[in-house]
Amino acid sequence: MKRLCLIGLAGLLPLAFSAPASAQELKIGLASEPTSMDPHFHNLGPNNAMRRHIFEGLVAQDAEQKVQPELAASWRALDDTTWEFKLRPGVKFSNGIEFSAKDVIYTICRVPTVENSPSSFTFAVRNFTSVEAPDPQTVVIKTGTPLPLVPNNLATIGILSAQANGGENVKYRAGGCEGLGTPPKSADFNDPAKAIGTGPYKLANYTRGTSIILERNESYRGRAPHWAKVTFRPMSSQGARVAGLLAGDVDFIENPPIQDFERIKNAGFQIAEGLSNRIIYIHLDQFQDPNWKTPGVKGTDKNPFLDKRVREAVSKAINRQAIVDRIMGGHAKAAGELLPYPLFGATKDFPIEKYDPEAAKKLLAEAGYPNGFEVTLGSPNDRYINDEKIAQAVAQMLTRVGIKTNVDAMTASTFFTRRNKFEFSMYLAGWGADSGEMSNSMNSLVVTLQPDKGLGPTNRGRYSNKRVDELVVKAMATVDDAARERLLQEASKLAMSDYGIIPLHFEVTPWAFKKGLSYRPRVDQYTLATEITQVGS
Amino acid sequence: MADYVRADEVAIAPEIPEPLPATVSSDRGESLLRRHIDEFLKSPGAVAGLTVLIALALIAVFAPAIAPQNPYDLSKLDIMDNVLKPGERLGSGITAFLGTDDQGRDMLSAIIYGLRISLAVGAISVVIACAIGASVGVLAAYAGGRVESVVMRIVDLQLSFPAILVALVLLAVFGRGVDKVVIALVIVQWAYYARTVRGSALVEKRREYIEAARCLALPKSRVVFRHLLPNCLPPLIVVATVQVAHAIALESTLSFLGVGVPVTEPSLGMLIAHGYNYLLSGKYWISTFPGVALVIAIVAINLVGDRLRDVLNPRLAR
Repeated sequence: MKRLCLIGLAGLLPLAFSAPASAQELKIGLASEPTSMDPHFHNLGPNNAMRRHIFEGLVAQDAEQKVQPELAASWRALDDTTWEFKLRPGVKFSNGIEFSAKDVIYTICRVPTVENSPSSFTFAVRNFTSVEAPDPQTVVIKTGTPLPLVPNNLATIGILSAQANGGENVKYRAGGCEGLGTPPKSADFNDPAKAIGTGPYKLANYTRGTSIILERNESYRGRAPHWAKVTFRPMSSQGARVAGLLAGDVDFIENPPIQDFERIKNAGFQIAEGLSNRIIYIHLDQFQDPNWKTPGVKGTDKNPFLDKRVREAVSKAINRQAIVDRIMGGHAKAAGELLPYPLFGATKDFPIEKYDPEAAKKLLAEAGYPNGFEVTLGSPNDRYINDEKIAQAVAQMLTRVGIKTNVDAMTASTFFTRRNKFEFSMYLAGWGADSGEMSNSMNSLVVTLQPDKGLGPTNRGRYSNKRVDELVVKAMATVDDAARERLLQEASKLAMSDYGIIPLHFEVTPWAFKKGLSYRPRVDQYTLATEITQVGS
Repeated sequence: MADYVRADEVAIAPEIPEPLPATVSSDRGESLLRRHIDEFLKSPGAVAGLTVLIALALIAVFAPAIAPQNPYDLSKLDIMDNVLKPGERLGSGITAFLGTDDQGRDMLSAIIYGLRISLAVGAISVVIACAIGASVGVLAAYAGGRVESVVMRIVDLQLSFPAILVALVLLAVFGRGVDKVVIALVIVQWAYYARTVRGSALVEKRREYIEAARCLALPKSRVVFRHLLPNCLPPLIVVATVQVAHAIALESTLSFLGVGVPVTEPSLGMLIAHGYNYLLSGKYWISTFPGVALVIAIVAINLVGDRLRDVLNPRLAR
C-alpha cells in the first residue's frame, strides 16, 4: 500500500514541477482582513494596502513613506494655497476607459459622500476651496489655508472612474459637488465589475472572511506585475498563520510571532523585517486642574506627574534596551523621539534616554517622593506586539526605583474607551504616523488637547506646552519643506527634553515567506503583492 | 448524652432532653466516625490523594518561606532573567529549577504562589457558596410551599446557565482582583449546594426526630440549623469537596481567558496562559509545569472527594 502511494506521488511530481502557471500564483496569509473593498470607506492599514493593488492615487508613498508620483507625473505648489498636479498621459482604467482630470475631481467629490465610515478619508480633501481641470492632464487645487500636506494626504486616496460611476459632468463645489450622480455605495465595490481602478491588479473575487482574489489588470499602464493571480486569505490567529505557511497553504504571511522566528527559519522559510513608523510610548497624566484626582495614584495627594523631575525619573527608570532585547527578542528599536529617522521631521541620532535607576531615585527624592508613590499603568493586551509584557516589564522597572506600579491590561476596545475617559494616570499605547512625517505624531500626541480645533486629538496625557504648540501649528501651515522640517525637529526636541511623553521603542514589522521570495519591508507595515519578488528566476 | 449535642443546649432545655438527630443518635456514635475513617483509609488512592492535598496545602500556606523568590514583588524580578531554561541561574544567584517565564519570574516560586491563590480561591469560594447555598436549600425545604417553589426556580435558572459564561460576564463587569474572582465563583456555585441540601432536607424533615423537635416547640431556626442541617451534611461534604476542584479549574480557566486575577499576581491558569504562546516555540516549561501542578491538585482533590462519596453514601454501603 505504502509503495503504491509512493508510486502515485512520483507520478504526480513531474506535473507539479512542470506547471509554470502555478508559479505565477501567490497566496498570502493576512493578519487582519480589510473591512471593505471601497477605497474610501475606512482609513485603516489593511484596507489601504489592499486598495493600492486595485486603485492608484495621484501620488503614492514608497517603502519609506516618501511621496512618489503615481497617476500624477509631477506636482508643485504654485503658491502657499495652490497646488498643480500634472497627470500621466495614456493611462487606462481596467474597463478600458481613459483616465483624465475629471476622474480626480470626481474622486475628491465622492470621498465625503461615503456613509458610516468608521475612520473617514475626508481629512485629505477638507478645506479645498476649488478643484479645477484647466486641461484633461492638469488638476489645480486651491486650499483655504496653507496646507503643506496636500500631496501626503492625497496619497491615501484611490482614484475612481467618473464615467464608470455616472459622474462625467461633475463640478467641484466646496460643501457639495454638482453633477455627482448617484455615488456608489461601499458594498458596490465588493463586485469585481464595479471595482474599477487603474492599478496593476483587478478584483477577481471577494468572499468576506475567506479570500480576496486579484488578477492582473491587462490594461495597466506599467510593466505587468510578476504574479498573474494573488489570493489573500485572512488568518487572524498567529498560530494558524504560521502553521499555514509551514504546511504550504500560503506562500507569504504577515506578522509571524517573534517567538516562532526560529522555528520558521529552521523549517527552511525566510523572514524579512523592517522598522515601522509605530512608536510605543507612555503618556503621563499632566492635567493642570488642581482639583483633578489622578486615578490610580496612591501615596500622595498631589499629581506627581506635573513635576518634570518625576517624569524624568520615569524615563530614566526604564531600561529600553532590555525591553527591546528580552521582550521583543531584538525585533524593535529603542526610541528617543516619536518618529524614526529617516522619516520627515525626525532627527538623525536623536539621543535615547540612558537607563539610570540611581538618578531616577535621586530625582524622585528631590521632587519630594523619597519613598515613591503608587500608580496604575493601563495597557491594551492585544493591540501592539507584546503590549502587556512590555507594560509588566515597565512596572518592574518603575517599582525598582520606588514607583510601585500595578498593571491593568485589557482588550483594546475596553482600553481605548477607558483611556479616552482619562481613567489612567499612566498608560502605554502605540501610534503609527500615517502621513510618515512628524507633524502627525506631534499633533496627535503632544500638542495641547483642543478637540474643537482638531489639535492634540490623542493627547490623553493632557501634556500642554505653549511653545511646542506654536511650533507644531506653525509647521502645519508651512509649505516650504526645509523650514517645516526644522520647526518639527525643534518642537520634538523641546517636548522630549520636557518629558511631555515617554517614548519607548519603534516596532519592527516582520513578514515570513517561503524560500525563493523576497520582500522589502515597508515603514507603513503594508503587504503589497506587487513588491513581493521572486529571486533567482 | 451523645457527643453531638453540646453542653449549652442541655443548659437551655435541662428538664426535657432534645430528641437526638437520627443518624448520630446511635449508641455507637463514636465508632460511626471511626468506621468512616477506617473505610476511607481502605482506599490507597484516596490516602495518596489526601497526602498530596495536605502537602500542597502546607506548601501553599508556607509559600513565603519555601519559595526561592517572591514572584509578586516586582522589584525582585529582572527582565534580563526572562525565559531561562530549567536549571539556569537568575541574576540574583537563585537557580531556576523549572526555568523562568517571560517576565523573569522563577517558575517554581510562581507555581508555589500560584497554587496558593488557586487553593485559597477554591477553598474560600466553596466555603462561602456552601454556607449560602446550604442555608437557602434547607430553609426552602423546611418552609415548603410557595417559598420553596420560588427559591428552587431561581436555582434552576442559575443552573441552566453555563458557569463559565456567568463568571465571564460577572468579571467583565467587576474587573480584575482575587476578591472579585471569589465573588464570581460564589455566585455561580451556590445553587449546587442549595439543590443538594434541599434534596436531603426533604427526606430528613419527615423523620421522627424533627417531628419531636417541633412538638417541643423549639424555635424554627433551631430546628432547621441544629437538627435538620447537620443531618444533611454528608452529601454536602461530598459536593463541597468535588466543587473545590471545580472552583480551582474554573478560576484557572478565567485567568487563562484573561479575566480574573491581576497580571502581576499570576495564578496557575494565568501562568499557563502566559506560556501558551511559547509552547510551539519549544519553550515548554512556562506552560507545562503550572499545568502539571494544576492537574495534580485537581486529581488529588477528586480522589479524596470520590472516596468521601463512597464512604458517606449509605446506598453504596455494604
